[in-house]
Amino acid sequence: MAIPLLICDDSNMARKQVKRALPESWDVDVTFATNGIEGIDAIRGGKGEMVFLDLTMPEMDGYGVLEAVKKENLKCIIIVISADIQPEARDRVMTLGALDFIKKPINSEKLAEVLSRYGLL
Amino acid sequence: MNELKVFTEDQRDCLQEIVNIAMGSAGDSLARVVETFVRLSIPKIRTIRPNDMASALVSLSSSESDTVSAVRQSFQCDKGQDGLRGEALVVFSQESFQDLAELMAYDEILTPEAEQELLLDISNILNGACLNGIASQLSTSLSYSPPSILGQGMPVDELVQREALTWDQALSVEINYSLENRSFSCDLLLLMPGSSIDYLCIKLEELIEED
Repeated sequence: MAIPLLICDDSNMARKQVKRALPESWDVDVTFATNGIEGIDAIRGGKGEMVFLDLTMPEMDGYGVLEAVKKENLKCIIIVISADIQPEARDRVMTLGALDFIKKPINSEKLAEVLSRYGLL
Repeated sequence: MNELKVFTEDQRDCLQEIVNIAMGSAGDSLARVVETFVRLSIPKIRTIRPNDMASALVSLSSSESDTVSAVRQSFQCDKGQDGLRGEALVVFSQESFQDLAELMAYDEILTPEAEQELLLDISNILNGACLNGIASQLSTSLSYSPPSILGQGMPVDELVQREALTWDQALSVEINYSLENRSFSCDLLLLMPGSSIDYLCIKLEELIEED
């Protein structure tokens, strides 16, 4: 069965880049969210068992999403994809429960490498 | 007066993402120097007229401070007048200097000369990382004039007198950098003339079509 996959980023281009970078063989059902509020709603609604999450977003940022997921104990795997490449940003999201952190801009090699590292493919 | 140039929604979105990535890289460079987490916010991109210049400066986050200091640096790509060019202004709130001095372990009292040095150093770091980040994503490269102090420790109203827009319109990109639990706040304001907007439209369209 297809995995519900959520791509949460305020940039349309960034969302499309992530979608294009997805492994072809991966059976996923993609949902887009344009800010953290939409993102957390989609996760609550079961649309994001797997989540690719941006950090700097309007309404609610990626940190807010990670905090809400933790607080509500929502079941999902979150990989942060962000332009905020400070090592501290990575440490923070990992502490908040993210599985990994990928630097923008994303490409299919980077994504496949991370996904296979965690046996997600 | 020429009509105000506008980007299509896709072009604006693409530019916003390019600026985000460049901002992230500049934030990382700053964080390494001050060894503190840099808070990033969403960059503001808009087209302004010379008349809007004063309010653009006054509305910067760093301008909430009683006095500000600013550095100006111009940049130009190898295509010359028709390529990407403009001015980068870095505006610091006055409270920023004490923070910087502490974080960068300056032992001596912060003299105006030491402040100047800090101003220029930090501006160089932010401008270099951010503008090179934008240029590389557009597959171009930039050269820079040496940075100069536009004003030091003056109310923003006075700074406004020193910076007039000579073009009939400009693309304004506003990026704020602040430090967590500190009063440090500085804004990077990029201003580019109408010809650069035309250039960007073409470049952005190419990137969108590659998608």
